[in-house]
Amino acid sequence: MQNITIYIDDKKLEVESGKTILEVCRNNNIEILTMCHLEGVLDVGACRLCLVEIEGVNKLLSACTTKVAANMVIRTSTERIKRYQRITTELLFAERNHMCSVCVANGKCELQNLGYKVEMDSIRYPRLFPQCEVDTSHSWYVLDHNRCIMCTRCVRVCSEVEGAFNWSVKNRGYQVRIISDFNTPWGESTTCTSCGKCLHACPTGALWPKAIVQGQLDKKPEIIEELMAKRKMGL
Amino acid sequence: MNRNDLKVISEKAKEKHKKYKHKICVCCGAGCISSGSEGVLLKLQKEIVERGLQNEVEVIPTGCMGPCNQGPLVKYLPENTIYQKVDCENISQIVQSQIVEKKPIEDLLLFSDFHPKPFINAHDDPFFKKQLKIALKDCGDINPEEVEDYLAYDGYLALGKVLFQMSPEDVIAEIKHSRLRGRGGAGFPTGLKWETVYKYVSEEKYVICNGDEGDPGAFMDRSVLEGNPHRVIEGMAIAGYAVGANKGFAYIRGEYPLAIKRFEQAIKQAKKNGLLGNKILGSEFSFDIEVRIGAGAFVCGEETALIASIEGKRGTPKPRPPFPAESGLRGKPTLINNVETFASIVPILNNGGEWYSEIGTPKSAGTKVFALAGKINYSGLIEVPMGTSLREIVFELGGGIQGGGEFKAAQTGGPSGGCIPAKHLDVKMDYESLMSLGSIMGSGGLIVMDEKSDMVDVARYFMEFCMDESCGKCVPCRVGTKMMHDLLQKIYDGKGTSIDLERLEELAIYVKETSLCGLGASAPNPLQSTLRHFREEYESKIEQDID
Repeated sequence: MQNITIYIDDKKLEVESGKTILEVCRNNNIEILTMCHLEGVLDVGACRLCLVEIEGVNKLLSACTTKVAANMVIRTSTERIKRYQRITTELLFAERNHMCSVCVANGKCELQNLGYKVEMDSIRYPRLFPQCEVDTSHSWYVLDHNRCIMCTRCVRVCSEVEGAFNWSVKNRGYQVRIISDFNTPWGESTTCTSCGKCLHACPTGALWPKAIVQGQLDKKPEIIEELMAKRKMGL
Repeated sequence: MNRNDLKVISEKAKEKHKKYKHKICVCCGAGCISSGSEGVLLKLQKEIVERGLQNEVEVIPTGCMGPCNQGPLVKYLPENTIYQKVDCENISQIVQSQIVEKKPIEDLLLFSDFHPKPFINAHDDPFFKKQLKIALKDCGDINPEEVEDYLAYDGYLALGKVLFQMSPEDVIAEIKHSRLRGRGGAGFPTGLKWETVYKYVSEEKYVICNGDEGDPGAFMDRSVLEGNPHRVIEGMAIAGYAVGANKGFAYIRGEYPLAIKRFEQAIKQAKKNGLLGNKILGSEFSFDIEVRIGAGAFVCGEETALIASIEGKRGTPKPRPPFPAESGLRGKPTLINNVETFASIVPILNNGGEWYSEIGTPKSAGTKVFALAGKINYSGLIEVPMGTSLREIVFELGGGIQGGGEFKAAQTGGPSGGCIPAKHLDVKMDYESLMSLGSIMGSGGLIVMDEKSDMVDVARYFMEFCMDESCGKCVPCRVGTKMMHDLLQKIYDGKGTSIDLERLEELAIYVKETSLCGLGASAPNPLQSTLRHFREEYESKIEQDID
């Protein structure tokens, strides 16, 4: 891989070509907000939090899926980007039923952290309050659709890392839901290996082990990356 | 079949048609079939045999003729007399009067319910006179179920010419010279797209025909696929030769069973005659086409979602770059064009790029097919040169507003487009002019609205459509369209405030700029264009704020 010169927020950087803008930013301590990105699985560019401005490109592009190119001039924190990050966050909170104070993930939730980062002091849009199911059919785990943000990290971890293909997505638009197998209760899944990786991959309190209460959830999303790194080395 | 055989067969087919003195075409497009044209065809065939005229009169089913709401249509050639709203009762009268007595029946002539003196030659009517049929040229004249009919109209001669006399570079140069732009809506230069795919080096490449037409009120692609499927097949094979692909897919929406049937039948006929498959016409080039049927998702018209759907995955879009030209179907370079674009390839190669580039406007060359719908007298399918004004389309071709109403707005581009108000009736229909008014060309749907239409309701309707059809992958489109729809509903119900309107406008810009694919990026267009041209309607619905 050859080195190329790029500019991020007026900083000149020598970086390896073939990397994504997100990788380069994280390597250089430039903060990019993400929600659907998870180290160790493929990126889908779905949450739109990592959008950046690139000179000469009339669209905002997602940093996680766009590769750096020579002499690219990138801006990561313009007023416009910040405004859009805030709207995205508000929409995520308004979409389903996110009640931090009673959530198992309270204090360890990536969505909650995002709210703090974008300084969300109120939600300007009407909350949708959808009636969502809570699937408690699995012996050890719970899937609470009320707290799901459809980042599909669980779907990708299950197919790309575990190879079980238990999780998938049903419906369209705001009615999308995560499903187990062909839309059967999780406990009746014939593909789930109960490995628990999806629980660590989930950024919110949508997936959690039974027998814990408010704030007790302990997530380690970094284990996915470690697993994949080991696998690449043939361990 | 080799190239010489093709010419022989073509001549033979022409001879076969010449032996008849009269030709009667019965429109068997989906529109006319739904009003009973298949029964008319059978009755007519029976009547001709009963009268012993079968050696004089040729009766064939054809594709769409255009004035769909006047169907079932029956066309008599060579005089080009079209009879409208024909039912089985009229058949013996038509045969007696037209064939035996050689007198047209005035009361049944096309548009006789609008004109005191309808035209005997339908092509004298402004509806046809103002049209220039290129993509739809033989549609309505040939039997789409017979390859010989297409061959009699010089079908596959362009493919023969391309395979034996032109290099892929020559073909691309010709298409570039024609200045043809993608007819799917965005208007990307076709030649440039072909060249990009051609330049990527890969053992495997693909050509995809996008027939997942989903805009409400649009049926251009359906009519082409139903009326002249071989034209699309020939265009795809030429594209395959030009970009270096040996495999093509036609993605047709499942709601078009007749188009799927006729297209699959046409593929079989083409293969049987050596016009598809291994070593086409005895050349070194092989090309095969498979049909894939869409399962009813509007978003699958977006190219990356369409590719995912062909791969057997959930039809959701992927961020671009990489573009399909670089990494498309199965990660290979893929050319993806709309049905109408492929239908325009053959005439360009037959008549030359120069000829095509001189039609239309400097930036938008050629012709565009529009599907006229809504409060217009003649709804149906038309093809006009780019740059024809909206006024001409609505008042001359379309015969004006139903019931003598007043023109209020025309909606182009479906849920991705916008509304053009009466004061811009003289806008030239081309990519740039429509864009400057906040609408888009889109795939060609054109819905005409009269003074009774509520523009807030129009915006609400299209937002509901986008909300339902959003794939749900990215946040701005999934939640943003729902929020915008709810706000529009609130305003429409008379419960909105000026703050709601403010939020709506902010969300529109946000969804437009941040969405992953074209569906979300264009979902706010109907809202923004109605706000731009009919803001007072929104304001009149908003409750007066209490200070």
